Amino acid sequence: MDELTNVYVQESREQLAEMEARLLRLEQTPDDHDNINGIFRAAHTIKGGAGVVECHFIVTFTHFVENLLDSLRNSEIAVSPPLTTLLLECCDHMGNLIGVLAAQQAEPAADLLARGTALTLRLKEILDAVQPSTTGQSGIALHDDLVEVESYGGGVVNTDSWHISVRFGRNVLRGGMDPLSFIRYLGSLGEIIGIETIADAIPAAADMDPESCYLGFEIRLQTKATKADIENVFNFVSEECDLRILPPHSNVADYIRLLKELPEDPMRIGEMLVRCGALTQGEIDQGLQAQKTGSAATARECDQPPLGEILVESKVVHKEIVDAAIVKQTQIIEKKAHEAQLVRVHADKLDELIDLVGELVIAGASANLLALKSRQSELVEATSVLSRLVESIRDSALQLRMVQIGDTFTRFNRVVRDVAKELGKEIELSISGAETELDKTVVEKIGDPLMHLVRNSLDHGIESAAVRLERGKPACGRVSLNAYHDSGIIVIQVSDDGGGLNRERIRAKAIERELIQPGDTLSDNELVNLIFEPGFSTVEKVSKLSGRGVGMDVVRRNILSLRGTVEVSSVEGEGSTFTIRLPLTLAIIDGFLVGIEKASYVIPLDSVVECIEHKNLTGDRNFLNLRGEALPFVRLRELFETEGQAPARESIVVVQFSGQRAGIVVDQLMGEFQTVIKPLGRMFAHLRGIGGSTILGSGEVALILDVAALVNIVTRSEEERLLPHRNNPSFSALTSNSPAVQSGR
Amino acid sequence: MSTTQLLSLTQDLTIYHALEQKNKLLDALDSTDDLELDLLQVNQIDTAGLQLLILLKKEAQRTGKRLSIVAHSQSVRSVIDFCKLAAELGDPLVIPAAEAS
Amino acid sequence: MSTIMLVDDSATILLSISSILNKAGYTVERAANSEEALKKFNAGVKINLLITDLNMPGMDGIELIKEVRKLPDYKFVPILFLTTESQQSRKLEAKAAGASGWIVKPATADELLNTIKLVIK
Repeated sequence: MDELTNVYVQESREQLAEMEARLLRLEQTPDDHDNINGIFRAAHTIKGGAGVVECHFIVTFTHFVENLLDSLRNSEIAVSPPLTTLLLECCDHMGNLIGVLAAQQAEPAADLLARGTALTLRLKEILDAVQPSTTGQSGIALHDDLVEVESYGGGVVNTDSWHISVRFGRNVLRGGMDPLSFIRYLGSLGEIIGIETIADAIPAAADMDPESCYLGFEIRLQTKATKADIENVFNFVSEECDLRILPPHSNVADYIRLLKELPEDPMRIGEMLVRCGALTQGEIDQGLQAQKTGSAATARECDQPPLGEILVESKVVHKEIVDAAIVKQTQIIEKKAHEAQLVRVHADKLDELIDLVGELVIAGASANLLALKSRQSELVEATSVLSRLVESIRDSALQLRMVQIGDTFTRFNRVVRDVAKELGKEIELSISGAETELDKTVVEKIGDPLMHLVRNSLDHGIESAAVRLERGKPACGRVSLNAYHDSGIIVIQVSDDGGGLNRERIRAKAIERELIQPGDTLSDNELVNLIFEPGFSTVEKVSKLSGRGVGMDVVRRNILSLRGTVEVSSVEGEGSTFTIRLPLTLAIIDGFLVGIEKASYVIPLDSVVECIEHKNLTGDRNFLNLRGEALPFVRLRELFETEGQAPARESIVVVQFSGQRAGIVVDQLMGEFQTVIKPLGRMFAHLRGIGGSTILGSGEVALILDVAALVNIVTRSEEERLLPHRNNPSFSALTSNSPAVQSGR
Repeated sequence: MSTTQLLSLTQDLTIYHALEQKNKLLDALDSTDDLELDLLQVNQIDTAGLQLLILLKKEAQRTGKRLSIVAHSQSVRSVIDFCKLAAELGDPLVIPAAEAS
Repeated sequence: MSTIMLVDDSATILLSISSILNKAGYTVERAANSEEALKKFNAGVKINLLITDLNMPGMDGIELIKEVRKLPDYKFVPILFLTTESQQSRKLEAKAAGASGWIVKPATADELLNTIKLVIK
């Protein structure tokens, strides 16, 4: 794809998103003129760009959409739900057409074409009702009204040149135009063989406004150009200047009439015409004489109305239009556009930059290590300065790839609207925290899980209007999307004010699926979160929306793969809130390096609360008393079944995840470390407690601990002790020391 | 009163300066019976400027004064030629004022 | 050579028109919206022609034209606006605001350059 097309595709997709967002607002605020204008503008820009890149199928279709929007903004048609729906469908279709262009196909496929035709017909139907049979041609230039005057009577002037008589309007100069440049341009159409400057209109010095134009010209032009070509030269001033064009070989009578119509004294202009070579003095005398005797009078009564009358008529019409235009209300200046400060960069380039920064971080760590080993204090200092800079570069580079989650959120306006309609429910979407930023790569991957959660809320969460009213809730349900930052992670919430989760049904289903035993006591939190277990579905009737063969377990798996977590909290009768926690970026994190024997592990620094040293951690109870609170802990050595003896002094890294704290017991603390995350191969995907790997400055591999999973393991194992009979499927996945540790790069 | 005055314009004869140029030119004509205009340094002239020269000429005729343009820059000359106004505004032709009888 | 300021919120239009203008030997000042254009005017950029879109977010083209006509240094600069056939009333409105002329989109390179030749001083 060439650059222009590329720019167009990207731009028109943005415009389309804008158009859709505005269309969705249209139903709520049908009188918002700015909004309607914005919709029109988006369609207009898409069509305009399509013209530039010569993509005709987009131009053709969008043309009708634009016409309809034009009628809408001129209040010729009213906003209605069917209209909005139609326009939204058009939006989708335009998106598909842009897709065709992006895929570099010459033509849309047959089904797409058919769909376009169907939509066009519906658009036309509405348009025809407003402006019968004039679909798409409101702009006929005024000069077309001028009728060629046919010759009638009198001799033919013996010259093959056009005669152009022009008197410029007073305001021409103020409009930034220079009449001389028009005349010069006229010259470029052929050859000006005679010209007379008419300055009669200049008033006395005191009354003369030097910024007004008082000049006119009588021009003889020899050219092969048509009358329309000549008129076009004066197109921009056609409404404010007197233009008369006589074709070659016009009748003397035509010239005579010209003389009479011109504002100056006919005899003087006659002189001018003679001077510029249009006529001879004899012809003028003859013509003026002939008119007196009445032959020209009969001419005047011909079918053709005199040119002058047409001109005057068209001028009168024009005057009204101009007056109307001046009266038109001034537009309120909208929010300032920010785009000016933005630079468009291809996402691939950013990814490449971040990859390189990743390598830089690793290389920097390696240099750092060597410097330390060398014990040259100057070298150590130099490399530490370097490290700090690399750190700054890393942060800036990652910042470049941060995007606001808002766009992802607003997409759901459409989903909520369509699905609510389909379900026959009234549901509104409220969005907050749209400006929260996160890494583009994360944004791209969060769409699907989010969609599933939103649909789940729409389908299972929000009750029907009747039920809602019965429960004393407003008929219109509400689904909210919210995002905010919380200590290095982004939290995204999908909540609804629907019926909430039915505990009894969850319990029954979980027992039926053998996820729990009938006698198990589970906390409320544990119980509701069972819905994320594989194969769980609380609704007996599989609906069209959520019953697509994917359950909540798939949502959780997707989010886990982003090193995130998801959980649900719910109050029966009042609604549910799904909370997704995600790292801001998938690329590089600040890590805390710890060691067991020779192996190194990285704990994401964001989750580290504190480190404590502990002597003689004994006993089989895996929790300790930390300032009066019980802190469950896990020995990494045991968890990963590392061989060897624990040192006398062990360290405990206290980590926190979603409000829960746990201790991780390690041999040694090695300090902060910038960690470039390398995903584990698919072979290790089933590992619990490991989130990825990284490469140390020494070239060794270190595993990155999955704090969420660890905290889970620690707290559960503590409960396990208390409830030893419970069968918990999530344990078996934790395997022994991973081969990745020894395998090197 | 019959001393010849010379006015040399240095600014462009364009719409941007039309207001001040008009006053300058008329004042100059007002102060003498015989005005010589030097347009050698006028780099640009447009319709507004041309119009001013015509106005000045008309004003001179009306008041029976002499106005002569004694020097033209290239661009002034080309505009005057283009509009076939050499007879009125040409150089070094002395524009005959209406005979002050 | 002449300098032309081009104001359009569509990156596609900006790119395509300025490449035509550049090829024809004009220098192009680009602005993505009216505010940016005014900023350039206030900084005293020298131009021989302004070409602007009418429908833009923020300050629209009509307002921009009115603003430019208030600036002493740009009061009489030729202004062309980009329009389509379907915008007859906008055309008159833009003319009333002080525009010199218009370019009907989509225009061929020749149409574009001829129109510029017609109005540029």
